[in-house]
Amino acid sequence: MDRRGFLAGSAAAAVLGTLPAAGQDSYPSHAITFINPFPPGGAADVVARPLAAVMEPLLKQPIAIETKAGAAGAVGAQFAAAAKPDGYTILIHIVSISGFAEVDRLYGRPVKFTNADFIPIARFIADPMVLIVNDQQPFKTLKELVDAAKAKPNELIFSSSGLHGALHLPTALFMRAAGIQLRHLPTNGGGPALTALIGNNAQVLCSSIAAASPQIKAGKARPLACFGAKRAPALPQVPTLKELGFNIEFYLWVGMFAPKGTPSAVITVLREASRKAAADDTFVQAMNNIGQEVAYLDQAEFRAFWEADAKRVEEAVRQIGKV
Amino acid sequence: MEAIVDNLIVGFSVAFQPGVLLYAFLGCLVGTLVGILPGIGPLAGISILLPATYGLDATKAIVMLAGIYYGSQYGGSTTSILMRIPGEAASVMTCIDGHAMARKGRAGAALAIAAVGSFVAGTFGVVLLTVVAPPLADFALRFGPPEYSALLVLGLVFLAYMSSTSLMRTLLMAAAGLLLGCIGIDVMTGHFRYSFDIKELGDGIGIVPVAVGLFGLGEILSTPAKTVTDKVAAPRLSELMPNREEWRQSAAPIARGSVLGFLVGIVPGSAHIIASFLSYAVEKRVSKTPEEFGKGAVAGVAGPESANNAASTGAFVPMLALGLPTGPVTAVLMAALLIKGIAPGPQLVTEHPQVFWGFIASMYVGNLMLLALNLPLVGLFVSVLRIPYAYLYPLIIVLCIVGVYLVNNSIVDVWIMLIMGVVGYFLRKLEFDPAPLVLGLVIAPTFELSLRQSLVMSNGNWAIFFSGQRPIAAALFAVSGALLALAALSWLSRKDWRRGLPEES
Amino acid sequence: MNLRRDHAAGGAFIVAGAFVLAVSGDLPFGTLASPGAGMLPRLLATLMMVFGLALVLRAGTSPPLAELNWSDLPHAVRVGVLAVAAVVAFEPLGFAVTTALLLFVLIFWVERSPLLPALGFSIAAPLVVYVLFSVLLRTPLPRGLLGF
Repeated sequence: MDRRGFLAGSAAAAVLGTLPAAGQDSYPSHAITFINPFPPGGAADVVARPLAAVMEPLLKQPIAIETKAGAAGAVGAQFAAAAKPDGYTILIHIVSISGFAEVDRLYGRPVKFTNADFIPIARFIADPMVLIVNDQQPFKTLKELVDAAKAKPNELIFSSSGLHGALHLPTALFMRAAGIQLRHLPTNGGGPALTALIGNNAQVLCSSIAAASPQIKAGKARPLACFGAKRAPALPQVPTLKELGFNIEFYLWVGMFAPKGTPSAVITVLREASRKAAADDTFVQAMNNIGQEVAYLDQAEFRAFWEADAKRVEEAVRQIGKV
Repeated sequence: MEAIVDNLIVGFSVAFQPGVLLYAFLGCLVGTLVGILPGIGPLAGISILLPATYGLDATKAIVMLAGIYYGSQYGGSTTSILMRIPGEAASVMTCIDGHAMARKGRAGAALAIAAVGSFVAGTFGVVLLTVVAPPLADFALRFGPPEYSALLVLGLVFLAYMSSTSLMRTLLMAAAGLLLGCIGIDVMTGHFRYSFDIKELGDGIGIVPVAVGLFGLGEILSTPAKTVTDKVAAPRLSELMPNREEWRQSAAPIARGSVLGFLVGIVPGSAHIIASFLSYAVEKRVSKTPEEFGKGAVAGVAGPESANNAASTGAFVPMLALGLPTGPVTAVLMAALLIKGIAPGPQLVTEHPQVFWGFIASMYVGNLMLLALNLPLVGLFVSVLRIPYAYLYPLIIVLCIVGVYLVNNSIVDVWIMLIMGVVGYFLRKLEFDPAPLVLGLVIAPTFELSLRQSLVMSNGNWAIFFSGQRPIAAALFAVSGALLALAALSWLSRKDWRRGLPEES
Repeated sequence: MNLRRDHAAGGAFIVAGAFVLAVSGDLPFGTLASPGAGMLPRLLATLMMVFGLALVLRAGTSPPLAELNWSDLPHAVRVGVLAVAAVVAFEPLGFAVTTALLLFVLIFWVERSPLLPALGFSIAAPLVVYVLFSVLLRTPLPRGLLGF
């Protein structure tokens, strides 16, 4: 009842134009909404839900998760960018957030939002991608794959979750670095992309380790290289691209963002809660369950990481170009 | 076989634990509820209850969430029959003959047949899932883009049998539906098509808002309250159950729908909608009285309702046997397992037999529960029709708006529903049947994508659809060709017959 | 020429098809070996126009447009306009207020039902729907200015 009473009060305040001052002292004073820009069970959702569960007692307010899926995550991001910057609408998004503006520019469309519209708060996980091939393919090492692709350009097929998507971008970076050309088979999601590989309708796929590991364990897919700076604990025998002489990194990371203009006092509260949540055993366990290590970065480091990562993503988008 | 029995014993010993039983029941209950409520479907229902599973163990979680999924296929027929609003996308076909039956005072019979058909199909699906999941999974994997294209071409050929109006009108509606399905980002090239800078249209136009608008709101707009007062839609209690004749007419369609639905269901993709469409077309094709369809044919309810249930069970095959999420619903179910630290995949059966067989066994129990839940509810649901229409239809409008809004929390979807309601009103005036339009909308994105994916795979060579390397695709195309040839033949012979007519008279 | 039902229907589809072709703009058509984003929509729009034309040409047997029963149009317009108003108000005013108002206006004003039952139903029904979705299914419905 308290909450409803307050909501009514703050709504009245909003009408009188006094809300920004009213909310600040005691943030958070009512329910917070996390925007999940992907379908339920997607990359952001599986992090947002345990995170919300752990952050609720820290912030002493309920956290609702609102799914605003569409256009590969652009709808949710645009919604959050346009939300009132009061700390009650928070976006949970992944690596692909950096690509939308570049894709819009590529097609000569008006840019709906850029990275400057968001304040990074924290990064929670960063899963390096892994390059896998179908087990019926003869390639045992990355070199064999590159040689085969060079011998017959445009013959092997790689699948992806969609054009300019999180699974397409690393493949594009790798193809350029290796100087090879593979045919692109876009599908409409990470699941269908993996299905295409397992069914041998595609031979190569860059996937998140979490999604690929059951198939790797079952011997249906063979990992050739990882996209991390160092080897992944889940796949210790798989070399990184850096070891193999390609200077590429690519992570499927999940982070928290607030709309531009959110008061710094509010950001501080959220940073503090995120830091505690990331160290919480329940959250760590939940991440381990989905095959992830917590890779927490606080605002300053996350901002630096995000800037470097955005450059990689934009470069990959330009590399793919307009199809 | 013995191994299966042993495994099932393990499974049932899990499924009959009181806690597991309770969560199976909860899942079925919520599933029935989200199925009944228009718009909001199994995906929304599952994602809503996903957080509630964090405190549960893996078996209870998956049993409850799966219950929502197959339970929603039971409930979906309710509003379709009573109000002509598809409670769930796969129930569109039930709107046509189910509601026509209700208008004839046979709402209770239609609901009962839908429930029994769902039960038979669901149980049949689970039996197949128990016995032949691994080989079927391999079959599902062989269903790549070329096979999918072939299946959808078959669906398009069947379209001609779907409609109660003339062929030209059906083709027009189908073309319009396919065209609507082209709206949104082109997955292959990234172009925004016909979205007029509305980001929400990026993923295309949803099936739910279109179906709810065309069928539900369109019906309301063209039915002024004063024309309804003398309608005897609410039957007497003694007429709630189907009579002997209706049972007889529904037996074969339920059997055919179960087999067809399961086969289509294991194919990756959101196939349960297509399964119910195909079943409707098949029933109309084999029926001795095809002219009854659209006017309350029992087979037009029994077939599609069984098919969509069997298909929702079939969809578990690739998920359980291969660990591949082939549709949005199975993706959420897999996420739920992952969160519990269980990686669905080829080793699920060996690593977690308790979870796997407990889950399978719970589906037998769940289907029984759903039948026990839905049959007694028939009486309650039918009494909805006793609410005076002047009160009922405003409530239906509210449910349409809320249900459609909640699918994506999107007001754009509600606008689409409204526009489609107005379109539906005029289509009725001009004697168009909206069903082929909805089917076109369902088929278009998948058809275009799989066609173009096939061409990527073959480097632009159309022979991929007919070559010996793709026998399934070739066979499906052959069936389509044969059907077209048959139709052409009968058309030609009817011409001859008509030419002979004047001499006779 | 006597304007018949199928003249109007076919004509509407021809116009719709032409509109789609007109706004297809720079969507690439592609080739048969590699169809572009514009191929299927353009083909379908053309097909729709062809079918529409066939309908117009064979319209002679359909009933004249003026003979269609338009008696339900005033009802449809009233209900349609109210539904549009409700959707406009849905997010700003919130679920509870909007649906209660919509129900009341439809039942009391459009259908001329007695005041008290109409009022009772309009307040009770949104409450039931609210309990169903927001409490049982835990999906937040839009809360408006008044906070509920």
